[in-house]
Amino acid sequence: MGLATGGISRKSWAVHGNTLHIRNYQDLSSLDSVSSLSAADGIISAAINQNLLKFRSNGTWDTRFDAAESFEQIDATHYRFRLKPGQLFSKGYGEMTADDVKFSFERMVDPAMNAINRPDMGPLSHVEVHDRYSGTFVLHTPYAAFIPVAVAGPTGEILSRDAVTAVGGRFTTDPPCGSGPYLFKSWQAQRKTVLERSPLWTGRPAAFEKIHVYAMPDPKTAEMAFEAGELDCARISVETVAPFKKDMPLDSSIRVLPSGRNYWLGLNQENPALADIRIRRAIQYAVDVEAVVEAAWFGLAKVSSGPIPEGMTGHRDSALIPPRGNPEKAKALLAEAGVTLPLRLRLDVNNDALELTSVQVMQWSLRKVGIEVEIHAQDNSTFLTIGREDLGDQWRDVQLFMQSFTGLADPYYSLTWFTSDQLGLWNWERFSNEEFDRLNDLALATTNEAERSRMYQRMQDLMEESGCYRFVTNSVMPQIYRNTIEPAFRADGYAMLRDIRPADRRR
Amino acid sequence: MLNFIIRRGLLSLLILFLAVSLLFGMIHLVPGDPATTMLGPRATPELKAELSQRMGLDQPLPVQLGRFYAGLARGDLGVDPFSDRKVTVIVWEQLPYTLILVLAAIGGASLLGIPLGCFSAIRRNSLLDRLTAVMSVAFIAIPSFVVALYLLLWLAVKWRWFPAMGAGEAGNYSDQAYHLVLPAIALGLGWVGYIARLVRASMLEVMEENHIRTARAFGLPERTIIAHYALRIALLPTVTILGLGIGTMLSGALFAEIVFSRPGIGKLLYEAVLNRNYPIVMGAVLVTTGFFVLSTLVSDIINAMLDPRLRERQGMGN
Repeated sequence: MGLATGGISRKSWAVHGNTLHIRNYQDLSSLDSVSSLSAADGIISAAINQNLLKFRSNGTWDTRFDAAESFEQIDATHYRFRLKPGQLFSKGYGEMTADDVKFSFERMVDPAMNAINRPDMGPLSHVEVHDRYSGTFVLHTPYAAFIPVAVAGPTGEILSRDAVTAVGGRFTTDPPCGSGPYLFKSWQAQRKTVLERSPLWTGRPAAFEKIHVYAMPDPKTAEMAFEAGELDCARISVETVAPFKKDMPLDSSIRVLPSGRNYWLGLNQENPALADIRIRRAIQYAVDVEAVVEAAWFGLAKVSSGPIPEGMTGHRDSALIPPRGNPEKAKALLAEAGVTLPLRLRLDVNNDALELTSVQVMQWSLRKVGIEVEIHAQDNSTFLTIGREDLGDQWRDVQLFMQSFTGLADPYYSLTWFTSDQLGLWNWERFSNEEFDRLNDLALATTNEAERSRMYQRMQDLMEESGCYRFVTNSVMPQIYRNTIEPAFRADGYAMLRDIRPADRRR
Repeated sequence: MLNFIIRRGLLSLLILFLAVSLLFGMIHLVPGDPATTMLGPRATPELKAELSQRMGLDQPLPVQLGRFYAGLARGDLGVDPFSDRKVTVIVWEQLPYTLILVLAAIGGASLLGIPLGCFSAIRRNSLLDRLTAVMSVAFIAIPSFVVALYLLLWLAVKWRWFPAMGAGEAGNYSDQAYHLVLPAIALGLGWVGYIARLVRASMLEVMEENHIRTARAFGLPERTIIAHYALRIALLPTVTILGLGIGTMLSGALFAEIVFSRPGIGKLLYEAVLNRNYPIVMGAVLVTTGFFVLSTLVSDIINAMLDPRLRERQGMGN
């Protein structure tokens, strides 16, 4: 081709050599565990830092040793760890010690730090250091989510006391050092973060010399960049999966992974129009969730049985209301409640293509039983305030709304937002149930998995029986990647950079 | 001339003050809570209160505006509450990408549009004129984001002649220029048609004027008449439009920045508005409004320099 490109090498922007090019769904905000805001930060920080335990990349929430040589629960409130010796922080900050673990965890619960992610640490009291490599976590009360949320999650990343102290105690996009298989090289706002292989890493060597993580909030742009050969791996939108599968970009594959994002239709039981439980139950039975998932998720996702996804403690095999609903039962309930049809209701939704499609199908389902729904789409920031009590009385006007929420590696995080003390904060359904609140506390303090599971299942039953929720789906996260790499994903679909490797093409 | 520049400069400052104050009020009237948006469920009442205090949202609106201007006078636009980075640093990091894109787009559009308009006027009703007319209207009519998407699909995705995303490697100017080609075409194509139509109309008007007839009567070559007498006057309205065009493109660059995943002030502002990140919104608004006002000021000054009648009307003399 006779295009004058000056000194530009095509490989400077094409997938090549020993550099991995991958999309991140938003720009970096902070790599410090006290102030990191999203999974987009965690994807990068997990590659440059170590936890005591890390999640496996086998589609489960199982953990494996990372910086720890051993990790054991002594009793309900004590966990003992021992670090592998010889793990070095970069930039000359020396060997990782138990004191660094103490520093990293205690700064999260230090009131002076006002850590955003403080709640993830639960009732952590302090860390006792026994010697250079070992110590014990001491909790005020039992906390079943301690390992999956506090230890293996982004909040459990181990930082160097000396390095963080040297930069004034906190940082954002310029980490003072790292101990993972990759080191942080640079960050260009709204462009990319560059990581490079760490020469200090003593574990299985990092697979790539460099990783370029591109901040690309728009999935369509990412899809085209992938087609243009500029990315090795990208999360794509659900509506693109079918066209891509039909006409797959060269030497590529798609994986439709489970996502930790739970979608549901919420009903505000304190709104006069929905105060009668028979009306709420009628709405639950009227909504054809299977049709919603088919239309908005193109059949890629499964209908959910509740906020707790498949594979997690407390997951229910099925919801109490059948996925297709029961329009006849809905009509009967409306008649029993003495409702004059058509019943007119308002449905608030985030202005997002997927959610708008969902509510349009719900609107169609509800119309069949005589309920006319007016859809109010709002931008995310506005939508997130509609149920908030501290911002005025607008929560009283909320009737129906489609809401979504991303959970973590433990079921408590999926259900704790529906307790009575969340009324007017995140509990916009105004669902309040003493048994639910009690079970929420009990389940968090119970370490017997079977018992915990039964509690969480019961809690989801209670939610559904209240008529305040119609569960839709736990969604999916489609990822496309070149066959030149062996991708690695967490159980909720996010990429695990440190575990992505070049594919063995000889197989 | 200096008097004119001072008076127009002061007027520009007043416009900037009014525009920024108005936007400040409007932004804060839109419902939404930055803490909830950014922190999600982790937005505990304590954190929200702390964030509100850090952003100054706990103060009445006039106090917030006063603080904003007081900070501005010190060259301090505050701190991004989420990344703890200075707003001025964040905005100045992004501004060059947008400025280069806008200048490339408007420069390319002028380089194509002015000769096209000129030739169309000289060869009035010729095939070239008719072709230019059709193309100009087509360029104006096609929305820029559609152009961007098709350029991306054909030239980057299908044929891979140009990169699909980014702004090129830092420090590698040829790579950066290469990454600029498609976004600049997408942003500037409509302006090619617009400028061509404008220059053609102006040229036709000027070519009928007495001084051109006089020049012809003196036997000056047609090329000299067009270049030295007609085009200079015909370009006056174009300069004004280009000034406005630069300002409009500064905010319109957003779609190109999103489609081509380029950094820039438009994308920064867009994301900040979605997240209700007020300090960033205000910093970006101030800069884009400032450049809009500045570009119109510069075009006014150029106009005054090119057109003695305008200087006389403004009472400037020479």
